Amino acid sequence: MSVLYPRRLPVVLLSAFCATGLAAQSTATDLSDAEVAHVAVTANTIDIELARFAQARATDPAVKQFAATMITDHSAVNGQASALAGKLGITPRDNAVSQSLLTSASQARSALEPLHGRAFDRAYLEREVGYHQAVLEALDGVLIPTTSNAELGQLLREARQAVAAHLEHARHLLASRGRGW
Amino acid sequence: MTPATHPSGRWRWLPPAVLGILALSAAGVFLRAGTSSPRRHRVMMQGMAFQPAFLEVTQGDTIVWTNRDIVPHTATSEASPAWTTGALTQGESGRYVARTAGEIRYFCELHLGMRGTIKVR
Repeated sequence: MSVLYPRRLPVVLLSAFCATGLAAQSTATDLSDAEVAHVAVTANTIDIELARFAQARATDPAVKQFAATMITDHSAVNGQASALAGKLGITPRDNAVSQSLLTSASQARSALEPLHGRAFDRAYLEREVGYHQAVLEALDGVLIPTTSNAELGQLLREARQAVAAHLEHARHLLASRGRGW
Repeated sequence: MTPATHPSGRWRWLPPAVLGILALSAAGVFLRAGTSSPRRHRVMMQGMAFQPAFLEVTQGDTIVWTNRDIVPHTATSEASPAWTTGALTQGESGRYVARTAGEIRYFCELHLGMRGTIKVR
């Protein structure tokens, strides 16, 4: 069984999340790999739940399709994360960063609630661009380089490829709809 | 004196037989080249891309896509009549037999940036 070592999660991760208002912490936090896993699962779950809301609220078929892909992909990543956690014999551990992510997600949902039609579609895609950009920066800057468990690190690297594709997908949809949207 | 240039007895039949065998062998090789067995080509869905993205095959060949990514993918043709492997999760494979000559462009329905081409000879 692999050993999961405590790791220090530097300010850069929190800064990346702060870039989209996802977190408001300003101090470094010590996180173990089990806590890093929890952050990853939380980040996926947040995007799944927002995508479910978007599927019901969005009007553009391409935006609905994008939301469906977010549900499919982030669910797949969480499934792999759960399987890996079971294999390693660990339970992802709740922590301040995960809580901060949840608080910010709630605020983002509140901001989207009053919107309908094209205004909603655009705001949802803009949120997805910002969110995936922040997660990508966090993965590259902190989560991947500081994760000590090789298998968890590999899972994060594979998830990174999907996150990068999602970011490009959301950017493409926004650009293809133009300014008149 | 026996003429050296005219074999006699039981060896008299040898030159025509050898020529016949050689001719049949050549014909066999030619026929095999013209009707080669269908081949199987592998395409990996890996790193959110089809690898290789371009493939040249012969009519009757089979293309097998295998998903190595942690998220599901499809290989779906752009043109009609459409075909698709359906959603393949990690480790799953889907196949398509190329029966008609031409160029087939395909993509992943879930990740629109993933695109590939098959040239069928």
